[in-house]
Amino acid sequence: MRTDSLLFVFFRRMRVPLIMLISAYAIATLGFTLMPGVDDQGRPWRMSLFEAFYVVSYTGSTIGFGEVPYPFSSAQRMWTVVSIYLTVIAWLFSISSIISLLQDPAFTRAMRRSQRSRSVRGLSQPFYLVCGHGDTGRLLVAALTGSGHPVVVIDWVAEKIETLEVEDLGAPVTAFTMDAARPDNLVEAGLRSRWCAGVIAVTGDDQTNLKVALTARLLNHSVSVHARATQAEVADNLRSFQTDTVVHPVEEFERRLELALHRPDLMRLYNWMFSGPHARPRPLRPLPEGRWIVCGWTEVGRVAVQQLRTAGREVVLIDPDAERPDRPSDYPDAAVAGTGTQAETLHAAGIDAAVGLIAAGNSDANNLSTVMTARQLAPELFVIARENGHSMHELFRAAGCDLIAEPAVVVAGVMLGRIRSTLVEPFINGMLTEDNAWARLLLARLLRQQRTAPPELSAGRISARRAPALVRALKAGRRVTVGDMLRNPRRRDRALPLTLLLLHREGENLLLPEADTELQVGDRLLLAGRSRDAAQVQSMLEVDGVLDYILTGQRRPQGWVWQRLAGVDAETGRAAD
Amino acid sequence: MNMSKVVFGFFVLLAATLNFGFVLGEIDNPAHHNVYELFAALVIALIATVMKFGDRSQLGAVLLASGLVSLLQLLAAALIWSIAVHISDAGLTPAMMASIVSLSAGALLANLLGVVLMTLEAAGIAR
Repeated sequence: MRTDSLLFVFFRRMRVPLIMLISAYAIATLGFTLMPGVDDQGRPWRMSLFEAFYVVSYTGSTIGFGEVPYPFSSAQRMWTVVSIYLTVIAWLFSISSIISLLQDPAFTRAMRRSQRSRSVRGLSQPFYLVCGHGDTGRLLVAALTGSGHPVVVIDWVAEKIETLEVEDLGAPVTAFTMDAARPDNLVEAGLRSRWCAGVIAVTGDDQTNLKVALTARLLNHSVSVHARATQAEVADNLRSFQTDTVVHPVEEFERRLELALHRPDLMRLYNWMFSGPHARPRPLRPLPEGRWIVCGWTEVGRVAVQQLRTAGREVVLIDPDAERPDRPSDYPDAAVAGTGTQAETLHAAGIDAAVGLIAAGNSDANNLSTVMTARQLAPELFVIARENGHSMHELFRAAGCDLIAEPAVVVAGVMLGRIRSTLVEPFINGMLTEDNAWARLLLARLLRQQRTAPPELSAGRISARRAPALVRALKAGRRVTVGDMLRNPRRRDRALPLTLLLLHREGENLLLPEADTELQVGDRLLLAGRSRDAAQVQSMLEVDGVLDYILTGQRRPQGWVWQRLAGVDAETGRAAD
Repeated sequence: MNMSKVVFGFFVLLAATLNFGFVLGEIDNPAHHNVYELFAALVIALIATVMKFGDRSQLGAVLLASGLVSLLQLLAAALIWSIAVHISDAGLTPAMMASIVSLSAGALLANLLGVVLMTLEAAGIAR
């Protein structure tokens, strides 16, 4: 609802009290002009309409200046009594109507909504539109506001929005209680604003996410769209219209399990970098060879069975419907009927000889119970558990799982990684083709930079606008390498704790370029490291003096006046001979 | 018959007729223009304008606009009258009277437009 229509609603509801008020004032004013009075010389006198209106105005508002301009006659005093009761009652009625209107839930809802639309229109820096405030949405909002981006949140559950309003976050958050599947609601939440940098669809419903992604694609061409899909066909549908990021949690689980099976260090690296800002580099023991038990024939269970078999592991499935008549083609031959929560079933599946277990059920309580029972029977077991709701995370941790498949965190992490820049996608693709030794080296290098928090990704382009000093130097024919760029602008013999992950040049992606790679105008760069270190690179890109110091080790005077005094040619930055 | 329509039409029409009655007469002759008539026209115009609030249709918007215009003109006329009588030393001169009447004549135009619009709407419904 727009603000002006809110005004109309107000006046429509206030029509009766307003007319009462006008009538009361009119009657009181008219009455005063008709009452016979006496002036200070004892001559008969009647108030003019103006004087009458003056008297009514101060009696009606209970200010009461007394009897002006002359003491009232009895008739005038009688009328004063009448007009006091008339106007005061009219006022009381109007005020109580206004109060009841302001307390009307429908009206307050409309008012708050229009207030929020106004605050979205007032945003003047890039913001993100997050649809759905579940586990994933909450993580995303916390991470985005943590890095200083305003966020607009849409969820149709009022309680979730209300909890958001009392949270203390690092950037302005505007929250709407409405259905994200309706395009006009998205527009109201600022989809068409030129500051809208990205739309993130993480509602619990695939169809809603699909609609949000479609609406965003059609109504704002410059916005980046990120969506979650729990079904494979919806994920394909989303990819068919250039959705920037489509996260299918099962696919992501498959990717990470495959990495864990074949390239554990790459798995650690990937998991650390793309699981949100609170991810920690955890040690990961290799997945042992031998018999694995998979509990539950769910999407995740099916993927787990497939991956384990491809990796040459023996798989036993525990499935309540193991006796099913129409077994799918990829159903394992060794299947035990029952649930993994009971010791007998686990024994029947041969837990004594097993080396690993994957709890892939749809219920967190059952998965937890399975993990705990299995741990008691075989303490050395490698346990992977699927977590359905993020609120159970602490319990899974306490139960001692080696790996936890946490869809909420994974979805948020993958989206956050890719939101930073379009270069992240090619980096991930390139990284996934590398081998374990490469990953181990990169992980060690990144861990030297920072011990716990995952590196923040920042992107840049060597253009005249973003990097004026560097472009001038390159155009003047000077040689600047990647290693030069990452030197500390205060002490050039030291390197900044940054890693250049990717260099994009004329459609080609160079993964982890060597330090002696020469930079060119038009290169796009993806840096990993703390954002405050990345900000230091910025000074080298923008300030001629800093760049000069890094390249030559000499501190040249900065500013036109000092350069003149030192006899430096301002154009080339070189000392005149 | 819709009672609220009757009340609405009554006030819009009454605002126009009272206004007309006040304007009628020689433009600069105070004897031809009664202050109570101006007062009544102002009060009824106020009520009519409040009643026009909240109508979301295009016609309703124009009606509201005409009501606001007539209100503004009448308020200006009343203001000039009070200034002439109570503040200026010359009192209610023919020149003052003329400007009061011409202001309220402007209000009359807006009021007439309101009546015409209302009639048009009614005719549209009848058809």
